[in-house]
Amino acid sequence: MSQDDFTVDVFQNEYLPEGGQEANAIVTVTSPDAGQASPADAAGPAGTAEVIIIDCSGSMSSPPSKMSQAKVATAAAIDVISDGAAFAVVAGTELARPVFPPDGSMVVASAQIRQQAKLAVETLRPSGGTAIGQWLRLAYQLFGSYPATLRHAILLTDGKNEHESPADLEAAIGLCEGEFSCDCRGVGTDWVVDELRRIASGLLGSVDIVPDPAGLAADFEAMMHSAMAKEVADVALRVWTPRSASVRFVKQVAPAVEDLTGRRTQSGAQAGDYPTGAWGAGESRDYHVCVQVPPAGLGQEMLAARVSLLVGSDVHGQGLVRAVWTDDEALSTRINSQVAHYTGQAELAQAIQDGLEARKRGDEDTATSQLGRAVALAHSSGNDGTARLLAKVVDVVDVETGTVRLKRAVAEADEMALDTRSTRTVRTRK
Amino acid sequence: MTGESAARAACPVCAAAVWPEDNFCEHCQAPLTEHDGAGHASRQPAGEPAIGQQASATSAAGCAYCSAGPVGADGYCEACGRKAPAPRDHWESDLAVLAAVTDKGLRHYRNEDAVAVATARTPRGPAAITVVCDGVSGAARGDEASLAAVRGALPALSDAALAGGDLVAASRLAVQAAQLAVAALSEGPAVAPATPAAPANSAAPASSAAPAAPGKPAAPDLSGSADPPSATFVSAVVAADQVITCSLGDSRAYWLDAADPAGARQLTSDDSLAAEMVAAGLLAAEDAASSPQAHVVTGWLGADNEAEPRVTTFSPPGCGAVLVCSDGLWNYLGDAAGLAELALPGALTDPLAAARRLVEFALAAGGHDNITAVLVPFPPAPHEPEQAEAGRASVAQSDAAGASTAQAGPGQAGADQPGDDPSGDATGLTVEISA
Repeated sequence: MSQDDFTVDVFQNEYLPEGGQEANAIVTVTSPDAGQASPADAAGPAGTAEVIIIDCSGSMSSPPSKMSQAKVATAAAIDVISDGAAFAVVAGTELARPVFPPDGSMVVASAQIRQQAKLAVETLRPSGGTAIGQWLRLAYQLFGSYPATLRHAILLTDGKNEHESPADLEAAIGLCEGEFSCDCRGVGTDWVVDELRRIASGLLGSVDIVPDPAGLAADFEAMMHSAMAKEVADVALRVWTPRSASVRFVKQVAPAVEDLTGRRTQSGAQAGDYPTGAWGAGESRDYHVCVQVPPAGLGQEMLAARVSLLVGSDVHGQGLVRAVWTDDEALSTRINSQVAHYTGQAELAQAIQDGLEARKRGDEDTATSQLGRAVALAHSSGNDGTARLLAKVVDVVDVETGTVRLKRAVAEADEMALDTRSTRTVRTRK
Repeated sequence: MTGESAARAACPVCAAAVWPEDNFCEHCQAPLTEHDGAGHASRQPAGEPAIGQQASATSAAGCAYCSAGPVGADGYCEACGRKAPAPRDHWESDLAVLAAVTDKGLRHYRNEDAVAVATARTPRGPAAITVVCDGVSGAARGDEASLAAVRGALPALSDAALAGGDLVAASRLAVQAAQLAVAALSEGPAVAPATPAAPANSAAPASSAAPAAPGKPAAPDLSGSADPPSATFVSAVVAADQVITCSLGDSRAYWLDAADPAGARQLTSDDSLAAEMVAAGLLAAEDAASSPQAHVVTGWLGADNEAEPRVTTFSPPGCGAVLVCSDGLWNYLGDAAGLAELALPGALTDPLAAARRLVEFALAAGGHDNITAVLVPFPPAPHEPEQAEAGRASVAQSDAAGASTAQAGPGQAGADQPGDDPSGDATGLTVEISA
């Protein structure tokens, strides 16, 4: 069935026991099929801008393949940029420097321009430090110089952000929030997962590890394909709640866990908007909305939240989260499978991060119990990808109970991969 | 005891019991500004006009609960989020010859009782007809089942009454038609699941009955269980000289004697485990209502029923009233003499006020279930079209809609309709259905 607009589906158990105050729902948002978004909403190549940011710090030369593969990958990504879309390439050290176009503008892609850009990338030489906030600020300026609605960056680093303070980086992220999205990649194992996760989270992008530089080209190509497939920019969820109610959290839970609660912008006396970034055709994402409501009497019904999908300022779909108070325990105790599943997936991500953190601290008991819990959750929810990553860090004794032993020797790349990908979720087995 | 509990009403916001002199609800602190003439707080939400018309009036005027916000297109208050009352939550009918009140009670989230009432001009004088069905709790879509049943049942009874036919046979036909209507629900998909506001109700304003915003698929019906839709059934036809009742399940009909309170009696017998145990001498009659088996019905409309409906013909010895009700009333007062004391003598002259009194009694006693009470003074008053219609100009439209739905319902009963125009004058039939 062809879909010509966004849809919003709500999955919940609306029945609450007497005095119940928490309404939970999974809201599934699905975007229009390819070519079905209205011309007013679809950006097209002319509305698309890309910035590729390549770490050129001195450490990129060891091993030399890091720099050479980064160049190959950048060239591969440039080849994917559609004719008519604007782009720029930035070299990052303790400063940021426009590589192409060298005058610090954006340029519209064509066969000839792509060729020039790839030649310019060839000239990059690693030397200097790492100040990612500076890189982001240059990208911000570049995007500001060009009228595109779909603005996306790819950021590659191999090291720690050590030539500026964490506050500098945080300020740069704050500056760029809502201005462009950014997919972050760490090559090798000398970068810091939390740093890149923070950038990707703030800028509504993905984060991943590329342990072997040889894998960069395929990854960059895929990222750029995905960026070129985006059609609709600036999509937000507007959550209306009744007076005396409050939003406990709004989390994206599929394809990955991303807490949006703190990203709320008040859009009315009883409504707030949560950014979701840009959407490609036929994309589907799930959100967990949790609202605290003032309890009403048995038999009463309340609208706990009205979730609207906004493109710009237009509503493109709506779903209702309801609360009905009942003394029928068969109804109020029923578990909604979607809510339960994603609650488990969020716990899984948290258990992995807590477990790895405890392991770094040397708290092996906590690490063992948290990672064991993660193993059981990954197994029971069918999250095979995460289960495989866990198995590289722990020896699984009993998958059902989550009994594990920490591996003595764990490759750093495996641990970082588990950390980086811990937020990836699977959808429920229907 | 009775006086005290009757004087205690429920908070319109949280449904906790409140005293007449209270200005605020002790439980939720809601202001109790609306007091009715009897001196107790009205359980209708603040700002609501006469009960029976509340849905249309409040959705236009604003929220019935917080009086702060307008009601949105999807039926929820834009300020406090409370759902606007569905017309069926509290519904009344006054056809002069009989009156009906149904209320969702204080504990359930929707009204799964349904009631149809009709008056017919017959060759032997006026007749009053009523059918009450109670969706069986635990089964799916009880609200739809009971409504389909009363709609399906009515034509068989009204046809026979108008034609002066055999009312006992007609009562059995009515059960069959109701049975078919309920069975038809199992075959079709759920209509607007989990949306208590009945979208089919022609009388409901669009602003309060709109089930959901455009583009939003119906929420999964969590109230649906594996059990197919089913409902109880009770009908009564009150003619000039006799009362014909028919029942399946535990909804009841009573005779309330005006001359002799002790002459009051239950006309139907329950199809319930409790009744069977009483009949077998295993349970004392006075303990039946409080026994865990009281609500396990052994006969119903719907799949897997094996019980036969029971028809009784009763010739009243004199003046009185016939009461037809669901268990939401008799749970709190099942004794015929007690019901007669509460309903008489008002039921003889103002059956609507008397029916309200019965429903309010059940609400004040806890209102745990949906409550329906229909009162028919006996002998049925002469039908006076001019007078009756002058007082009910606003319901003429819903009469027509209700009756035509009933006549279009499934079953052989509709085959020999007296005419295409179901409104009162042309055929001598007036119909109202709670939805």
